[in-house]
Amino acid sequence: MLLVDVLAGGVRGGTAIMFAALGETVSERAGVVNLGTEGCMLLGALGGYAVAAETGNPWLGLLAGAAAGALLAAIHALLVVWRNADQFATGLTLMFLGLGLTSLYGAAYVGEAAPGFAPVPVPVLADIPVAGEVLFQHDPVTYLAFVAAPALAWWLRSTKGGLLLRTAGERADALHVHGHHPGLIRALAVVAGGALAGLGGAQLATAYAHAWFEGMTAGRGFIAVALVIFAAWRPLRVMAGSYLFGAALALAPALQARGYALNQFALDVLPFVITLVILAVLGKRTLRAAPEELRRVFQSAPSR
Amino acid sequence: MSAPPAPDGGHPNAVGSVDGTATDLGTSAVGDGQVTTSAGLGGVAAGTDETAASGTIAVGSADAGTTAAGASGAVATATKATAVTGAALAGANGVSVDRSDVVTAASVLPRSSSVLSTAGRWAGAIAGALVIFSALVLVKGANPIAALADMVMSMLAPASLEQIAIKAAPLILAAMAVVLPARAGLANVGGEGQIIIGAVCAAGVGLAVDSAGPVALVAMLVAGALGGALWAGIAAAMRLTVGVNEAVTTLLLNYVALDVMLYLIYEPWKDPNGSGQPATRPLEVAARLPLLGTTAVHVGIVIALVAALVVWLVLRGTAFGFRLGVVGGNPEAARRARLPVARLLLVAMLLGGALAGLAGVVHLAGVEFKLRPGLTANIGYIAFLAAWLARHRPLPAVGGAFLLAAIVVGGDSLQLDSGLPAATVNVLMGLVLLAVLGWTARRPRNAAG
Repeated sequence: MLLVDVLAGGVRGGTAIMFAALGETVSERAGVVNLGTEGCMLLGALGGYAVAAETGNPWLGLLAGAAAGALLAAIHALLVVWRNADQFATGLTLMFLGLGLTSLYGAAYVGEAAPGFAPVPVPVLADIPVAGEVLFQHDPVTYLAFVAAPALAWWLRSTKGGLLLRTAGERADALHVHGHHPGLIRALAVVAGGALAGLGGAQLATAYAHAWFEGMTAGRGFIAVALVIFAAWRPLRVMAGSYLFGAALALAPALQARGYALNQFALDVLPFVITLVILAVLGKRTLRAAPEELRRVFQSAPSR
Repeated sequence: MSAPPAPDGGHPNAVGSVDGTATDLGTSAVGDGQVTTSAGLGGVAAGTDETAASGTIAVGSADAGTTAAGASGAVATATKATAVTGAALAGANGVSVDRSDVVTAASVLPRSSSVLSTAGRWAGAIAGALVIFSALVLVKGANPIAALADMVMSMLAPASLEQIAIKAAPLILAAMAVVLPARAGLANVGGEGQIIIGAVCAAGVGLAVDSAGPVALVAMLVAGALGGALWAGIAAAMRLTVGVNEAVTTLLLNYVALDVMLYLIYEPWKDPNGSGQPATRPLEVAARLPLLGTTAVHVGIVIALVAALVVWLVLRGTAFGFRLGVVGGNPEAARRARLPVARLLLVAMLLGGALAGLAGVVHLAGVEFKLRPGLTANIGYIAFLAAWLARHRPLPAVGGAFLLAAIVVGGDSLQLDSGLPAATVNVLMGLVLLAVLGWTARRPRNAAG
């Protein structure tokens, strides 16, 4: 059934975007935009795939992917927080660095097999018609994503750490008054965000594509950045949005598998067009929801 | 925190005329010297326009507190006192006060010691990047000294110098596409997409009429510029009507543009007599950009340099350029000064898009001659970084474009001589840029606290 295929594919394919977008949410709630998410994902994908191939353990690969993403994001954190470099320029540069590094070190893993995550149907639940196939016949990392978004939402809302992070993004001077270091909190948020993006990349390589190839993230990192904006920086909306994109991405192969002769690029463009349309529709409403310090970044973008 | 007196020459209370045609933005704020803080627009307006006192509009720095903090070195702890100073019509948002003009001033006429320290910082940054790059190449099992030596040697060969000029042409145009909107405070990250659309529009015209020769070439240039402007106009329209940040929309539009091109060359425009590759047929020789003398360099570099000069003159010497600076420096002040902010933003973005579109045409009619996947080779992104490297000043951005073009050309030798993947050059470029971004930052931005 087409709908089931598209929805199930959306859940599977949206997972990588979701991890990256959740990471971007963490970073942006603390007031830092990381356009380097694309680079973090790429590095995470290669790191994850390479470690999985070398150790034979995809879980180690997942960890390595997160570490690789965190490492790249740490550069962003250093430059943006410590050196006050421009966030857009630094982020974009990180994308280049990610492209270059993965191309330099990734060539050896192109076409190389690595152990990945296989689907593990959830007992009982997987047998529910439609919903079972859409939600409960996936790999473990996808199930992990089911928990990640609500967990992040809870953490941001209800814990001291979440409060500190949100304050760093809304009223940094208030943190100062209370003896905290907004810079440090931001840096940690950016690094954590990078780790999540790296995790997303690793998921893409080890659980979705089961391969590594150059530039395999194909703009998912940028979609994640845009997604966070129209999800108004809320993890649960990020989750919904990610699955929407996953579905848009899954539409093309699903249609082609059924013999519809469509120009592939007319479908490839869908996620980007959908994002633009949603941004246009929600426009001002989302901007009002932006963390205060972040709005400042957006409004004074190329100021030096 | 109350507003302290201005520490460095009394800029915050500046009075200047927005309407004047003046203006030597560059030299006016030299008094700031190294304390290039967000005295910004106030400072600029002050020195700029004393001669044109008619229709006076006061523009003041709203953020005297920040200024003071910058001067005293206690940057990080500055609490923002958005003190509206004096009789000035101050913008509410002190943070967005433009620094680029002041920075320009500081680097156009710096003290000699600051020249040395600036040069030292740059040298240190680039050396650091080279060291890290060497380590990375070493890990990969190649000899970094040999690789870098090959790269430098190959850059200096006459053929490579021609290559650098060829690569620099679209980079300069696309960098101007970033510089011009940046003056109005807009981040145009969409050069890549605008280049593609420019090339697509030019190819569309070219495929239809390229037997007409030079006339077709002119038509292609116009079509490409219009296409680029249209593509940037989408982002501008979204920014102005629904307030979506242009950095995000232009980025997304890059991918849309790419898919538009791929769609066309995989089906409707595919060359029926080609080798089966997804590409259009090559342009007729008559519709290609002519070469300069006996060199391999096409005339695009002249177009690019002229465009850069025009952008520089427009930003520096016209009322339009000055107004853009006001809008970018302090939108609130611009609004209160009854400048047509929305129209200025729109025009800045359209002109930027047109420049990027031209870059696409120059690349198509000078180098590629046909549309194919991978046509742009990240020119748009590289140009964004070149513009950034120059802190959005037009003429230094030309230098930045040449520098990055040289790195790209040198990268080809990495591939040929050291057997490293072509994209390795992205590592070097990324490292150089990060080092420059990080280690030449002039001052911490104290807005973050």
